[in-house]
Parts: sequence; structure tokens; C-alpha cells
Amino acid sequence: MANQMGNAYALTLLCPIRHGVPQQCPEGLGGQTSAACVRYLLQDVMRVSLDSPMAKVPNTYLSRFYILEDVPYQGKPAKLEHLGSNYLVFCADFHGDLDTWLTGMWNAIQPEICGLLQYCFGFESVHDCASFITWIKKCQVETTFFFDGSTDEPLAVQLKNLYLKQEFSKFVYANQGNGPETIQANFREFVALTQPDNIDAPTWKPGAYGLDKVVSGLKTQGAG
Amino acid sequence: MSNIAGKAYAMNVVTPLRWYTAWFNKLMFWVSGHFNFVTKGLQTLSLIHYARWVVIDGSQFPRLSDKQPPEELKYTYMLFFSNFNGSWDQYVDSFSSAIPTGLNIFWAFNIKYPCSVPMLPFHRYITANQIWTDHYYNAYPMAASNDVKAAQRVRNGLLGFIADTKDSSAQDFQLKYNQLLMTLQHDVSQMGPNPIVSLSAWAVEDRLRKERPAAGA
Amino acid sequence: MISKLDLPDIQGNIVKAYGRYGFPRARYVFYQINDSTKGRKFVENVTPLVTTSVPWSEDKPKNVPAVAVNIAFTYQGLKHLDIPDDTLHGFPDEFAMGMKARRDIIGDNGPNHFEHWDKIWNDPADKFSQNVHVLIGLNAKEEGPLEAAYQQICGILAATGGVTQLVGHRGANGVEDLPYQSAIASDSNREHFGYADGISTSYFEGCRESARYVVGGGKPTGLDPTTKEGWAPLAAGEFVFGHADESGAYPEAPGPPLFSRNGTYMVYRKLHQNVATFRTFLEAEGSKFGDVETFAAKLSGRWRNGAPLATFWTKESANQFVAELGALLEKSRLADAGQGQISDAEKAHLAELRLQLTAYDYNDDTTGAKCPFSAHTRRTNPRSALQFGEKKPFDTPGALSNRRRILRRGLPYGESPANTTDADEHGVIMMIVNADLSRQFEFVQEQWINYGNDFRLSNDQDPLLGNNGFNENGRGKGRMLIEGDSQTNRSPYFCSGIPTMVETRGGDYFFVPSMTCLRMIAMGIVDPT
Repeated sequence: MANQMGNAYALTLLCPIRHGVPQQCPEGLGGQTSAACVRYLLQDVMRVSLDSPMAKVPNTYLSRFYILEDVPYQGKPAKLEHLGSNYLVFCADFHGDLDTWLTGMWNAIQPEICGLLQYCFGFESVHDCASFITWIKKCQVETTFFFDGSTDEPLAVQLKNLYLKQEFSKFVYANQGNGPETIQANFREFVALTQPDNIDAPTWKPGAYGLDKVVSGLKTQGAG
Repeated sequence: MSNIAGKAYAMNVVTPLRWYTAWFNKLMFWVSGHFNFVTKGLQTLSLIHYARWVVIDGSQFPRLSDKQPPEELKYTYMLFFSNFNGSWDQYVDSFSSAIPTGLNIFWAFNIKYPCSVPMLPFHRYITANQIWTDHYYNAYPMAASNDVKAAQRVRNGLLGFIADTKDSSAQDFQLKYNQLLMTLQHDVSQMGPNPIVSLSAWAVEDRLRKERPAAGA
Repeated sequence: MISKLDLPDIQGNIVKAYGRYGFPRARYVFYQINDSTKGRKFVENVTPLVTTSVPWSEDKPKNVPAVAVNIAFTYQGLKHLDIPDDTLHGFPDEFAMGMKARRDIIGDNGPNHFEHWDKIWNDPADKFSQNVHVLIGLNAKEEGPLEAAYQQICGILAATGGVTQLVGHRGANGVEDLPYQSAIASDSNREHFGYADGISTSYFEGCRESARYVVGGGKPTGLDPTTKEGWAPLAAGEFVFGHADESGAYPEAPGPPLFSRNGTYMVYRKLHQNVATFRTFLEAEGSKFGDVETFAAKLSGRWRNGAPLATFWTKESANQFVAELGALLEKSRLADAGQGQISDAEKAHLAELRLQLTAYDYNDDTTGAKCPFSAHTRRTNPRSALQFGEKKPFDTPGALSNRRRILRRGLPYGESPANTTDADEHGVIMMIVNADLSRQFEFVQEQWINYGNDFRLSNDQDPLLGNNGFNENGRGKGRMLIEGDSQTNRSPYFCSGIPTMVETRGGDYFFVPSMTCLRMIAMGIVDPT
């Protein structure tokens, strides 16, 4: 199954966008096509907060959206041809199986994702999680070759790993030159603070920019 | 929005190939997946989080309604998606300088593909066929692919070390701690934001941060 | 595939690092063009004095000038000389913007920001503008001829008019308005932190430098790096327009072809060195590390006496090597001066020893036990190290480094006696030659000096050149891993608190035209139609 490499899954969707001007559209986009509405929503989705809604979808490593308006023309003597519809192309790299991930998406960001996909053909058939998954799978195309240059662990594990790497780095540099008793005592404190075996907390928040915003679930503030 | 999310760049390229050579392309991908001589270069470059190629013909474009016309395309199309670290130039350059053969294997039958060497025509080919990302999400903007891999080693190393030194004397602890550091020495550099690889991308990000409310804590 | 360079057409500072040719003194003079016609006249009158790349053979002493003169222009300089828009638009963004505007890319923030630069670089009416138009560099053996050449150019300036010599260089004792920047190599060839400098240089086809410099100076071939077979010359197009570069094409350059051919870019950067801070830090941290000289070597990748860590990883071997080399060099010098003798066997041995200064790669040091991944010279010229010990992962062993090479020209300036302070004027005038500013200089600055991902070191910076910064307590924020050695059971050393050692105090991006181009500029006939 070329969609998968170990536990990492490569989902590629080509969601066909309805033609013409939709009945409902975002404010200010009256008279614009469905494709334009979709693009506007994508570009403007971070108006309220600088966090992407995809941060709420569990186990998502990386994902992107773009609109494929037409196939690229290479110039003569290549043939000129056209797509019959615009497609919302969605690509996600995540951990685990497809059904679980899609269920996670439905539960986390149903309003946002439905607000976006309502402009696509056939989306009127979606009314619950099961029909959502069915619809998505109709839009799925098979990945021919998936290259995993990273790890295929659950996202929560990757984030915990990163949190620990950062904190342990600080520990190692801060304890350079200390004697064995001191390091051992400091290490015990470090373990109590960072809880390496607790995946959930403290850890890095998904999608967080900035060293001052990235840590979540820390019980005690201050020097560790 | 931009192609950049922290340390990662989302590259999207769509290119046509002749339907009767598409099978050969798929064979090349299969070979790469099973023989590491092709992917060794990619792994050593270590610039990529995840990348994929999708080869589809017109009949494989999803059709979800009678109102949606079926796609009637003479060419087959290759969709390439990459999440990589560093600037666009560095990425494209490193492929062209370091693994040109691998690149050529994957793109050889694409229409008017100019070969990855020399570089400028290859740059133009990629740019002409690149589609800009409308929304890009990265779960760890401050981590490069190298960092994610190093982090896995760090945590595994730490867990083993903690178990190993539960009842250690201070001297024994120090001995094992030094061994741990020796094993993990290249994995414990600190992470931070991406260097500014593009002034225009930075200007957009800076503007958004100032004009839009900050994300909740 | 030997590229024949038209050396009489190429300016001399591209091919020669004058400091290594017995020209340890320099003056860098900067001008602004106020009248384009007179500006072109100025160029016309200076051009006959310009030194080319013609080799200075020992049997023709007349070839060697008393003073080497070279001239270069910023984007604004070319614009003020009436170079047509079509040609100007052929320059890449980074050159047109100038170095100040590139500060976010190259890390000229904080202490490196242009608000701290020598006054000459900041026009009070508009600090963001590129007010420096022309650079004339003068290099000489002795002060007398240097001053004479300078006066000659001042005379040309006075007679021509329409061009202003800009003042505003900092000098000793708090002076801020000097009319030129002086630079001078020390007798021992050491820069202000005490490191022997000017040992290795990039070697390219047609440069006509002594063939031994290809070892370590060219690109690695994959064969034994301690021999000549381990190295091949870099393509000339990495450093000179109009010639094929390492990617198998001509480097992009503005048109018409005759305008850019045999020209190149040069980055001028005045780098102040915080010598007092460095010395204090070296003493303190070096002692903690175990040995001050070894620590100094780990920061740089070379011992301060010049021996490369990759080959001589113990202090004893480094000292022994340099002592032996020094003794034979002295013998050779005396023999040349007719004051002694040197046997053929000794000459051969001298040649072998000299080679060892640069004949190395990192294939035996894939863990960094000898030379740290983060060491300055390993960062700025990784040779084959980016293969990370894999067997032929890339097309060629230097595939990721060959197109990031630069030529270093320039000299130290100022003095740093034992009781010097950071406020004293001393540092190095770095002049970097390359055919592509963003791919070569800016890339190395941004990805290899101010970042660490290519070395798998996350955000770690170059210990000597990185823009490390200070925290609230005034402690340096730089960090460096000094790898451990499993063979000798030496644990890794995690060095933190590295202060900012080097600060940018001025500079810009210059175009160094060929002789043909200089004449065309003077004639006002450049036309890309």
C-alpha cells in the first residue's frame, strides 16, 4: 500500500469544486466562484488566531491545501489541454490509519472543514462522520511513492521527544563541569519536571511558533 | 498564505507525462522503494520530512457527481509534494548537485523535462510548474527533520538511562551519564526559529503577527 | 578541460590574495559619484593604474608593481555612472539592494546592525540608502609607495571633480572621521585572536596560482586527500563571470555579456573583533575544558599555529609539525637570500610538510572527535563532511560544498596589545570574492555560520563568527558541542556562554569589473540592446 510507510500515512485528496457562483459565500465574496471562496477561506483561516485549525486534528504531522485550477501547459510541441473542474488538493502526512484520522478531524474541526468542503461536488451527502469518511475516500488518489525522511511515531510522541530534546539540551549545557552528586540530584529534578514517560504533559504544543509559546502542560513554572 | 511554515517549505509541482511511459515511471518508484541505493542520497541530505509522488491519469481524477464533467486528458500527470527544510534554492540546488541521477529517474519521462543538470533550466522547469500553497500546517515549526529524528534518539536514550540508573551510586551514575552524552552528543543542540530565508515571506509573517491578534496561550 | 582565463583582463585582487604575495599593507578608499560624466572621467583616469591578474614571475621582477590598485562599484555606483537600466536590472536582487538591506538574511542584527557601523556607511540624510559608490583598494609592500599611490589618486580626484571621497572610518583613539580604511598584516601572519591566517584558499582552473594550492583548495575527488590526486580545481565560473561553473553552466550575470565577462562580485566587510572578550573567554573556558590552546583549536578547526586539527589532533603533534615546517621554511628563505644552503631532500620534505597544512578531509573524523562539526573552518568549508560518513551517497563527495566556496581577500586592521579592550579599533577587513552572492557568501553566512541544521546541530552557530547575542545577565548565548572521543574515553564538552566575538562595522556588495568593462564604463558605451 503505497499510501503508507510503516505507521506514517500519506493522504492525497483531489476534491472537485463545484462550478460557477455558489448560493452561499463568505462575506464580501458575492458573485465570486466556489473556487474563489474556497481559496479565500484557506488564506484567511488564521484571521482570528495564528494557529491553524489543523493543529487540532490529532496525529497530523504536516498538511497543506492548494487549488488546482488547471493542468500546466509545457509549451509547444506539448499538447494543450484543460481540466474540466477545479480541484481542492489536500495533502496530509499523519500517523496511523485513515479512518481514525478522519474521525479525529471530524470531531475536532467539523465546522471549519465542512465550511470549506461544502463548495465541492457531492458534499451535500455528508451529514455525519461515517458519510464524511465515505466522501473523503471518494476523493482519495493513490500515492505512487511515499518517502518518509522522518519518523513514523504518533505525533504526541514526536512532540514529547522534541520537548525533551530541548529541555535535556538545556540540562546538559547547564550541568557541564558539575560533580556527580550534583548532576544526579539535578537530573532527578529534571525527570520530575519533564516526566519523560508521560507522553501527554509536559510537551510541545502542535503547530506552536516561538520558544515562549511552545511548551504546554508544565506543572511548575520557573527554573528546572 | 505562503509555502513556509517555520522550518518547513511546502513545494507542490504538477507535471504531465506521456501515458505510455507512465508505467515506467511507476516502476522506477517501485525500485526506489525497494532498493536503497536511490534513496540513500535523500536520507543523507536529510532535508525532507515527508515527500510523495502521485501519478494519475484523467480517469483517476475523482468524480463525485454527474454534474461534474469527466476528465478527458491525453497526458498522465505527476503530482509532487515535498516538506523540506532550508530555502527553495538550497533544496533544488542540492538535488541538482548531489543526486541528479535520482531526480532524473523520477522525472525523466515528464514532458520537456530538461534534466537536472545544468541547473538553471531545471530551476525554470520547477518554478514554471510549481503551485503555491494556500494553507500550510506544520506540527513543529521549530523542528527540522533532523531535529525530529534526533529527538526520538534523545527520548529513547533518556528512558533507557533512567531505568539503568534507578539505583545507581553517584559514581556509577556519572559513568553512565557520560556514556549517554557520548551517544547523544549530536542530538542535543537547541532548537529555535528558522533563519529568515526569504525577506518577502518574513515581511508577510511579520505583518500578520502585528495586524492579527496573537494566538491564545 | 583546462579553462584558459584571460588574466590581463581580470583584476588582480580576484586571483591574488595580495597579503600572501608580500603585500601586507592596504588602504581602502571609498567614493560617491555626484556627476556621472565626471565620474566616468575619474574611472577613465584610474583605469591605467589598475593591476591585473597577470602572474608575477620571479624572473621578471618588473612585473611586480610597487602598489596593486583595484577598483569596484556598488549598484548605486554603477547607476550613477549611467549604466543603462536594462543592464542594472540584470543584477540580482541582493546586489541591487546592497548589504545593509540584506541584514535579516546574513544576520547583521543586534550588535551587527548598521546603526553601529562606521559613519561612512550611513548617510545622515537617509541611513537606509547605499551612499558608497566606488571602492579603490591599494595594496603595497611598503608605506612610502602606498602613500604615493594614494596621493596620486587624490590628485586624479581633484583634477577630475564630480566625485567625493567619503570620510568616516573609525580609527585608533576614538577617531571617527578617517578618509580611508587602513589594514596591515602582522609579521607573524596572525590575526587578532592569535590564529595564523591565509593558509588555505579556493583553487580554481586558470588561476595560475602555484599548483600545490589545489590540495585542499580545490574540490575533493574521493581519492586520498593527502595527495594531489585527492583534489581537482574548482570551475572558474564559481568566481569569475563568463566561465562555466560547477553546475555546468555560465553563472547568471547582467548583460551585455561583454559587460560582466571576467568580472565578479566582492563583499567588503569590516569585522570588528572583541579581542579582550575573546581572550578572557578563552582563558576561562579553555581552563575549564582542560587546555587553553586545545580549546582555541577546537573553536577554529586549526591550532592557532596553523596546523589543521583533522590531521594533528594533539597539541604535541601540532607543535612538532609547525616547528619542523618553520625550521625548513627558514632554511629555504636563507638559501634564497644566499645566506645558507638547503639540500634537495630537505626541499622535498619541505614540500611534503607544506602540503599537510591543507591536505586533509574529514573522512577519518565522521564523529567530530578530532575536529568538531561546529568548528569555524569545518563549517565554512566542510569538504566532504556533508556525506556524514556514508559511502558515496552523492554524485561527488563535495557535491554540497563545491558551490559554496569563496575566495577570501583582505587583511587585519588595528592593534591588539596585551592590555587591549573591546572598544579599541581592531579586526579584519574581509573581502569575499564569488560569482553568486546569494548562493555563496550569503548562504554560508546564513546557513553555515548563523545556523546549524546542515551539520545536524539544530540552531547552533559558528562559535567565532556567529551572532551569538547576550542574555539579561550579560552572559553570551552561544553554544558549541566539542565532541568526545570514544578511543581516548574523553567525554563530550558542552560549551555555553560564548559571547559575540565578531561584530560587523561596515561594508557593502561590490561589482569588480574586468578591464574591458572598466573601459566601456569610462566611455559610457555599455548597451545591452
